[in-house]
Amino acid sequence: MTSSLLPVALGNYIALSAVLFFMGVVGVIVRRNPLVMLMSIELMFNAANLLFMAFARAWMNNAGHIFAFLVITVAAAEAAIGLAIVVAVFRTAKHVDVDDVAMLKG
Amino acid sequence: MIAFWILGVILIASAMWTITAKKPVYSVVGLLAHFVALAAMYLTLSGEFLAVMQIIVYSGAILVLFLFVIALLSSGVAPFATGIDRLPKIAAPAIVVALAGLGFAIYAVGRSSVAATSGALTAAAAGPVGTAGVFGSVDDFGKALFTTYLLPFEITALILMVAVIGVVTLAGDSTPYAATEKQARAVRKSMREAIVRGGER
Amino acid sequence: MGVDGSYPYIVALWLLPLLGALVLWAFGPQMRRVAGWFGSGVVGLSFVLTVLSWSAGTQNAGGAVGAHQALGSWFAGFHFGLLLDPLSLLWALIITGVGCLIHVYSIGYMDGDGAFARFFAYMNFFVFAMLTLVLSDNFIGLLVGWGLVGLASYFLIGFWFFKPTAVAAARKAFVINVVGDVGIMLAIFLIVANVHSIGFGDAFAAAGSFSSTTLFAICLCLFIGAAAKSAQIPLHTWLPDAMEGPTPVSALIHAATMVTAGVYLIARCAPLWSHNSDAQLLVGTIGGLTAIVGAILGCAQWDIKRILAYSTMSQIGYMIMGVGVGAYEGGVAHFFTHAFFKAQLFLGAGLIIHALANEQDVRRMGGLVKKLPFAFVAMLTGVLAICGIPPFSGFFSKDQVIYGTLQHGHPWLYAVGIVTAGITAYYMCRLLFVTFLGEYRGDVDPSDLGIRHPELAGTPDVHDAHASHGHAPAWIMNVPVAILIVPTVFAGWLMFGGDNSPWARFFAAEFAPSSLPAPAISEGLTAIVALLVVLLGAAVAYVRYGTAAARAGAVARLRDESVRMPALLRNAFYFDAALDLIFVRASQALGTFFSRYVDPHAIDGAVHETAISAGWLGTLTRSFQTGLVRAYAFIIVLGAACFIAYYALVGGTH
Repeated sequence: MTSSLLPVALGNYIALSAVLFFMGVVGVIVRRNPLVMLMSIELMFNAANLLFMAFARAWMNNAGHIFAFLVITVAAAEAAIGLAIVVAVFRTAKHVDVDDVAMLKG
Repeated sequence: MIAFWILGVILIASAMWTITAKKPVYSVVGLLAHFVALAAMYLTLSGEFLAVMQIIVYSGAILVLFLFVIALLSSGVAPFATGIDRLPKIAAPAIVVALAGLGFAIYAVGRSSVAATSGALTAAAAGPVGTAGVFGSVDDFGKALFTTYLLPFEITALILMVAVIGVVTLAGDSTPYAATEKQARAVRKSMREAIVRGGER
Repeated sequence: MGVDGSYPYIVALWLLPLLGALVLWAFGPQMRRVAGWFGSGVVGLSFVLTVLSWSAGTQNAGGAVGAHQALGSWFAGFHFGLLLDPLSLLWALIITGVGCLIHVYSIGYMDGDGAFARFFAYMNFFVFAMLTLVLSDNFIGLLVGWGLVGLASYFLIGFWFFKPTAVAAARKAFVINVVGDVGIMLAIFLIVANVHSIGFGDAFAAAGSFSSTTLFAICLCLFIGAAAKSAQIPLHTWLPDAMEGPTPVSALIHAATMVTAGVYLIARCAPLWSHNSDAQLLVGTIGGLTAIVGAILGCAQWDIKRILAYSTMSQIGYMIMGVGVGAYEGGVAHFFTHAFFKAQLFLGAGLIIHALANEQDVRRMGGLVKKLPFAFVAMLTGVLAICGIPPFSGFFSKDQVIYGTLQHGHPWLYAVGIVTAGITAYYMCRLLFVTFLGEYRGDVDPSDLGIRHPELAGTPDVHDAHASHGHAPAWIMNVPVAILIVPTVFAGWLMFGGDNSPWARFFAAEFAPSSLPAPAISEGLTAIVALLVVLLGAAVAYVRYGTAAARAGAVARLRDESVRMPALLRNAFYFDAALDLIFVRASQALGTFFSRYVDPHAIDGAVHETAISAGWLGTLTRSFQTGLVRAYAFIIVLGAACFIAYYALVGGTH
């Protein structure tokens, strides 16, 4: 065994990450407020990032850092687009409820 | 180790707050706490550059963007459906599926030998946090980003550019349809009718 | 087979009738009466060229018999050419010679018909097709000729296409002939698959190397073709109906030439049959059966042309029996004499029909010996020849066939041949007596004669014949008949003299003389027995129709006979009904079954079900398209959960 470098065993990080991820999932599915849904998506991104960081530390490989960085970037792009859509919907309907934006129903 | 548990509790609590808050502003506050706690957790994982990034980009940029939008849309009326008062039909199965997925994920981790890993395989590279040339430092990160991972970095730049163009297209001033209240009512009515028609089918 | 070389006469005699047909098709209406002479002249010229090719056709250079003219090659093994050997020379002589006479006769018979030139175009086309059949040196050419004569036959049976019965008869003949074509096609497939060549020579050289099953299959398929074309049981039903065509057509195509193509085919493929005794037995039996059935049915007919048609069927049965058992010379000899006397009988019948304004029912004739003495002489010589009264031609050829069956070891067929000869004598004499003796019955009420449906009794009320009959000079029709009397009477003498007869020497190179053990009954005794049976048949006919008493009560007797005719005979042994039941009804029932059950449920059903399934699938898929973002998210999560479950349960450890 090498010297312990992680504060706790890796499994704890994975479990925490999983819990956070599925909280985000529930948030996306349950909430009708598009802003909260977007925030829930951010939660999921962050859960994934946490995992990247933990594994990077466990293997001492900074590829995980790079990936987390890229995820942050993509999350920023995603948030910007999502908020722009919210604004656009609001401009036409003066009200934002994702369940009302259902004109693509088949 | 104590830090992990304290931060873990904070992370879960703030996430719960985020997804259950009635007003989106409260959600933003919960999310802020979440991000800060996560940044702290990154520090314990020797990712000090990422911790800083987390604070600057998430807390400083994305959350402010959320707040701007809330402020923009909340002028006058309360535009958002709030809370989880109208739980949709899919909520219950969704939660069940999510919990099942969670259970499976944790079960899978439990079966895996990875879960027990607690030490680095290349311990020699480790050193005092913040020192130049050691794992997780700005120096280390930057060298990797601009040498080995240059292409993904460039592609990320492209993604950001696409996002910028998309935002300008979606929310820019040139949006052809600046609705009056009357027109908006008509749009809402047609939306509702579309839903009703769909239901009849 | 055949001495290779350049034989312009053979090519010319083959193509001249085609040229005539094309010219008549193109310019016939402008040629008017000349069309008939032109058509006859072309065939006559072809006949002259055939005679001039005699020496080429009979040459024998070290096993290569006859003349072979190459026409071209397709690819290896597929060489086309013309072959004139004694067998095809004989057929070519009959086709062009008898054909020419019948053409001339037709000038008188068809005079005044609205489609005079078209008739001669078809006739010339038929001669060309038949020459293609017999002159071809390969199976493909033979099949082409085979198909084309069927087409010509279809054209000519349906020549008066405004008669629904003629159209139906033409269609029937064509369909049954196509059945035969398919048989020949299958035989060709088998041959090509085994020897990779379509030439007769290659196939015959390999005849000994076929397995007996293969050879039997080839012979069977060839015989299906021969049976359909030569009106053998059970594919004979088209021939009596084919009498709907003009009488010269019946004489040329449905008596002298085309219907004997089956005989030609078997004689041509003699090497194949000689190697397979099963096939010989099959063909001989079918031939014998056809001979006796045709003869029995001939006794039950009243239409003069149908009597002759059944007689033709019966006589071809003789030929098939002869060539089937291996007595090729005998079978071919009977073809030779039959071509003359049957053509003459038909032309004689044509004279009667012509003179009586298209009356064909023998019950409404009678006493014509005074009215039509020349027709009587023609019919009399024909009847004597077909009955086999010496020294008329039929005696010699029929004797050869009957004796040949015994020689090749088929005593039952021998007996059938002799009995059939007696029945033949009966119905032919009956025809002669009823038609020519007694009083003329044309003015008797048809119902008094037992004619149930006068309008159906075979009276082709056609063209403007009534007005025009008699316009053409009588000699145009009489001269060809008179010419035919000569071979009818004397042609048989060629076969007199056993192995030294001119006939045997003519075919010596073609069909190697076989040294068979002498059977228990000598040829002379056979002839005497057959002659006695024939005289018996003729005597019965005389007693029934020829005596003074019978002549006096002819009307009542004919009525009684018509009324009491057994249904079995009136319906020609129910062959038509049986074929209708087995093939037509069965396929109709199959079609009904498919259209009622298989089609709507399987074929259309598949299409409908596909459409319904697509709609159902669309409905199903649409239900996922709720338009609710969160529902989409839920589906994504569901998929992700599935992946996680997979890795949790299956993967994960390593």
